[in-house]
Amino acid sequence: MKYAYYPGCSSEGSGAEYARASEAVLEAMGVELEEIDDWVCCGASPAHATSHLLSIALPAISCAAAEKQSLDIMTCCACCHSRLKQTNQQVKDDPKLRAQISEIIEEDYKGSQNVLHITEVLAREVGLEAIKARVRKPLKGLKVACYYGCLMSRMPEALLTDKSEYPMLLDNLMEALGAEPLDWPFKTECCGAALTLTQTKTVIRLSADVLQMAKQNGADVLTVACPLCQANLDMYQGEAEKLLGERFTIPVIYFVQLMGLAMDLDPKRICLDKLIVDPFPILAKKGFIDGAVYL
Amino acid sequence: MRTDLTDKALHSEFRRKVEELSGQNLSDCYQCGKCSGGCPVEPDVKVSPNRLIRMVQLGMEAEALSSDSIWHCAGCCTCNGRCPMGIDIVRIKDVLRSLTKNIHYGRGSLEAWTFYESFLDCVRNFGRLTEIGLMGGYNINSGWILTNVKKAPWFIMRNKLGISPHTIKRIDRLQRVFKRIEEIEGK
Repeated sequence: MKYAYYPGCSSEGSGAEYARASEAVLEAMGVELEEIDDWVCCGASPAHATSHLLSIALPAISCAAAEKQSLDIMTCCACCHSRLKQTNQQVKDDPKLRAQISEIIEEDYKGSQNVLHITEVLAREVGLEAIKARVRKPLKGLKVACYYGCLMSRMPEALLTDKSEYPMLLDNLMEALGAEPLDWPFKTECCGAALTLTQTKTVIRLSADVLQMAKQNGADVLTVACPLCQANLDMYQGEAEKLLGERFTIPVIYFVQLMGLAMDLDPKRICLDKLIVDPFPILAKKGFIDGAVYL
Repeated sequence: MRTDLTDKALHSEFRRKVEELSGQNLSDCYQCGKCSGGCPVEPDVKVSPNRLIRMVQLGMEAEALSSDSIWHCAGCCTCNGRCPMGIDIVRIKDVLRSLTKNIHYGRGSLEAWTFYESFLDCVRNFGRLTEIGLMGGYNINSGWILTNVKKAPWFIMRNKLGISPHTIKRIDRLQRVFKRIEEIEGK
């Protein structure tokens, strides 16, 4: 199994631990990655909010490069995934747009490769059984609230076969690790996403609601598959505390980090120390880590 | 608010332009309000998504473009997911946002445009985004110098900020792409 890998900009900054842990888990599961040569930013919301053509052209540059590698594209970031997938679909469906985009990006681009999110690769291509068999330290008794956010569940061409209002992909993965995924109602509520800089108050209110609901449902940790969800939920727990008047110390952990933990991978590669809300107390209490190894 | 339903209002140039740019048929919307029911930012805005669509249907250009609701939209797509007619409401909002370039009115529009421009400038110059470049550009240009500054020490301590921007190899091609699109869109 081999994919053209689109790391996305957050892999070089605030979401570095997500990319590193993903690479480690995929390697352990025998998935090969070939980084897309000279990939560029997908443009995210600033591109599609200001120019439709730009929002297609930017992902098209990276998709065209992957086409040359003749590999399906895999990415970890939920936003990059939705931008690349929409671009691919629109270019495939619309010959006029295909011609225009090929001219703009100076490269022939057909939209012939699939775009997959890492959750799909792990849950469907690698398979839950294979993951179960690779688990060395089951996360027994860890109550995990799986938080999907918007882009993984609702984008028109997103994870097609999952239910948009109550997805199960992450829950199934957590179950395979031996953890206890919670049945909770805020799986796909919005955290405020890219409004972090422009409408901070809105982001704090929305993230606080998600944290409160997770806490009320008895979650030990929240698990996410999107760097922006992770940043918002992790960073604003102090503000959420001020807003709602209750204390929040819920670690927000990338699902691949939990996978790495259950598979007993090198702690240096799963980077749990990069999270803002310290996950070690709860993980040590549950007996999944030996404090000395990590500190 | 009272608006006279004239033939001219229902077939306005503004409505035609939004329909053309978004590829959506606005007559599809029968104002059921499901979009507003699910909208997470609805409590923070004066104009809910279904009212915004109504404004476009009735050709109320100034009201639609100056509404705060297009700037508070998180792009979460709950409205799209729940619309019984399958209207791409987020795309309509994208179109409305792009129509306000160089107008800058409405609560939140200055911040949003500064964010978009800081983000895209960074992409245009380096091919990839760096958080330092984005936050620096945004905080200086928007005048909100202290936005999220309190969070910076955490990110530095956890070594989560890419300090030096990584420039892609074919940056010249990328800049031609930006230029071509500007020419096509006549900016």
